Amino acid sequence: MIGLRGIHKTYGKTTALDGLELDVREGEFFCLLGPSGAGKTTTLKTVAGLERPDSGTVLLDGKDMAGVEPYDRGVAMCFESYALYPHRSAYDNLASPLRSPRHRLPAAEARERIGAIAELLGISGLLDRRVGQLSNGQRQRIALGRVLVRPARAFLLDEPLSHLDAKLRQQMRAELKAIGAVQHTTTLYVTHDSVEALALGDRIGVIRDGRIVQTGTREEIWYRPCDTEVARAFGRPRINLLPGVVTDDGGFRTADGKVELPLTAKAQPGTDVLVGLRPRDIVLGGAAGHELTGTVYVTEVLGRGVEVTVRLGEQQVSLVAPRGDTTGLGPDDPVRLTVRPENLLLFEADRPGRPGRLIGTR
Amino acid sequence: MNLRKRLLGALADLALILYFVFALFPIAWMVILSLKPANQLFSTYFSFTPTLGSYRTVLGDSEGIPFVRFFVNSLVVSVGAVLLSLLVGLPAAYASARWRFKGSENLMFTLLSFRFAPELTVIIPLFVLYQKLGLFDTYVGMIWVLQLVTLPLIVWIMRSYFADLTPELEQAALLDGYTRKQAFFKVALPLVKPGIAAVSLLAFIFAWNNFVFPLILTSNEAQTVTVGALSFLGGDRPKYNLTAAAALISVVPPLLLALTIQRYLVRGLSFGAVKS
Repeated sequence: MIGLRGIHKTYGKTTALDGLELDVREGEFFCLLGPSGAGKTTTLKTVAGLERPDSGTVLLDGKDMAGVEPYDRGVAMCFESYALYPHRSAYDNLASPLRSPRHRLPAAEARERIGAIAELLGISGLLDRRVGQLSNGQRQRIALGRVLVRPARAFLLDEPLSHLDAKLRQQMRAELKAIGAVQHTTTLYVTHDSVEALALGDRIGVIRDGRIVQTGTREEIWYRPCDTEVARAFGRPRINLLPGVVTDDGGFRTADGKVELPLTAKAQPGTDVLVGLRPRDIVLGGAAGHELTGTVYVTEVLGRGVEVTVRLGEQQVSLVAPRGDTTGLGPDDPVRLTVRPENLLLFEADRPGRPGRLIGTR
Repeated sequence: MNLRKRLLGALADLALILYFVFALFPIAWMVILSLKPANQLFSTYFSFTPTLGSYRTVLGDSEGIPFVRFFVNSLVVSVGAVLLSLLVGLPAAYASARWRFKGSENLMFTLLSFRFAPELTVIIPLFVLYQKLGLFDTYVGMIWVLQLVTLPLIVWIMRSYFADLTPELEQAALLDGYTRKQAFFKVALPLVKPGIAAVSLLAFIFAWNNFVFPLILTSNEAQTVTVGALSFLGGDRPKYNLTAAAALISVVPPLLLALTIQRYLVRGLSFGAVKS
């Protein structure tokens, strides 16, 4: 549906997109995740035709979009800056696409459609207000409404929930995918929030320095992150990454020898590696798996769970345990941890400017 | 403390009054001059029999000087110059704010440089050209030459107004299904209205006050008030009272205009500073 082939884009001396490749399938909800400055917004604007790539091809429905004006591409975009027309009311902002020559609806029909969308987004009471009288969260919902109100080949959403307060954001996140228009329309959703990407994306693309480093379902991204940076991007508390070497018998050992783990991945003995362990994959106390011993460094209540940071020799690992398992645990108490070898991720060691890549298992 | 504060306040008041006297004295002098009868013109300073005779003479087209026509000429020429500059300058300002192309900065600088050059440096060739082209002493000729005054002003000020608007507003309009032209007229232009009001007024005042171009490039048909008011100084005896009356009358339109659009002017001048 949306295809980007080898897109390069530079602004002066800075490279925004560096050979970006992306495929979004028909009807799919695709999340593009990356830190600020990675090229997310430029990617959206390139699809919309607002930015002309220096080289590369933009495809919509398999057709090359070179030279096709934004208004002929039939895509709708929600800007991170909202880009609402400040001299018009909220209603007129929502009505703008429906009054344009390309998406015109009869006034009565338009009013009905706007009413329905406003209801959906909880902005019915705001329609008479001018943009200047709205809070950021309200503006953001109006901006989202202006996209959803019209039929489109694809929705391009640039951080559409970022300025909502936490409660509303969670609610809207849950509701967004249930909106009929969103279900039927291919959506390219840009965010820097990994929780949002995991919750919403049928598939997720991770973008870094103007390139897509990994594309996949949330399971693929979670269980087989392509490198340490992608692994770090998903999950809070962050993944534990223990530095060490591969031993002669194919296991793993940290420099001080305090942590030894069996490895399922095959790696050259003597290689510097990082072992990745998700905090929720470490079990406090005895269970089936490989056992480690250490001392408690600090505990922090997260809510239902407790984050326990445990010292293993010179290294520390974080884990999340149910609250009941941690009663009576204090600093410097000895603890036993269990990990399942199949949950271990093995990465090459990080080098400056190049995060360590996943070493293939099986 | 309180005493000191009051003393300082009184001093400030005094300083302000002195400044007002200093600033307003020339204008007061002009008003007095315009009210003097001709025979008391040189004999007295402040004690005279005030008369509106000078105004009557000036507006009555007597003394063989068609002042009313000069006044109308000034209006036509200044308004015409501003309208033409807006028509040409708004698209130019928008384009130069949004699109950088090869030589665009040089082009803008060249336009601005028209304002640097003293008008006297080009006036003789212009005079010869106007004579040959039949533009001498015509409205078209005056409106055209005043573009040197109004166009750079309008383009440069409006350019910064457009540059202050985020391009994403027009981009949103493009994605809403509007063409670039519609995005300009429906989104960009309404948002710079205060700027248009402010810059139009400034350009009008500059055009109205211009002296050198009408002095050399008009003679009678298209002459404007700035030059026309001086006609009363000609002849065997300079009629200062008539000149003063003419000058005061010619201040009225810019003043009225400034007062009526004051609201826009303040908003217009502060527009760029306030993020929408």
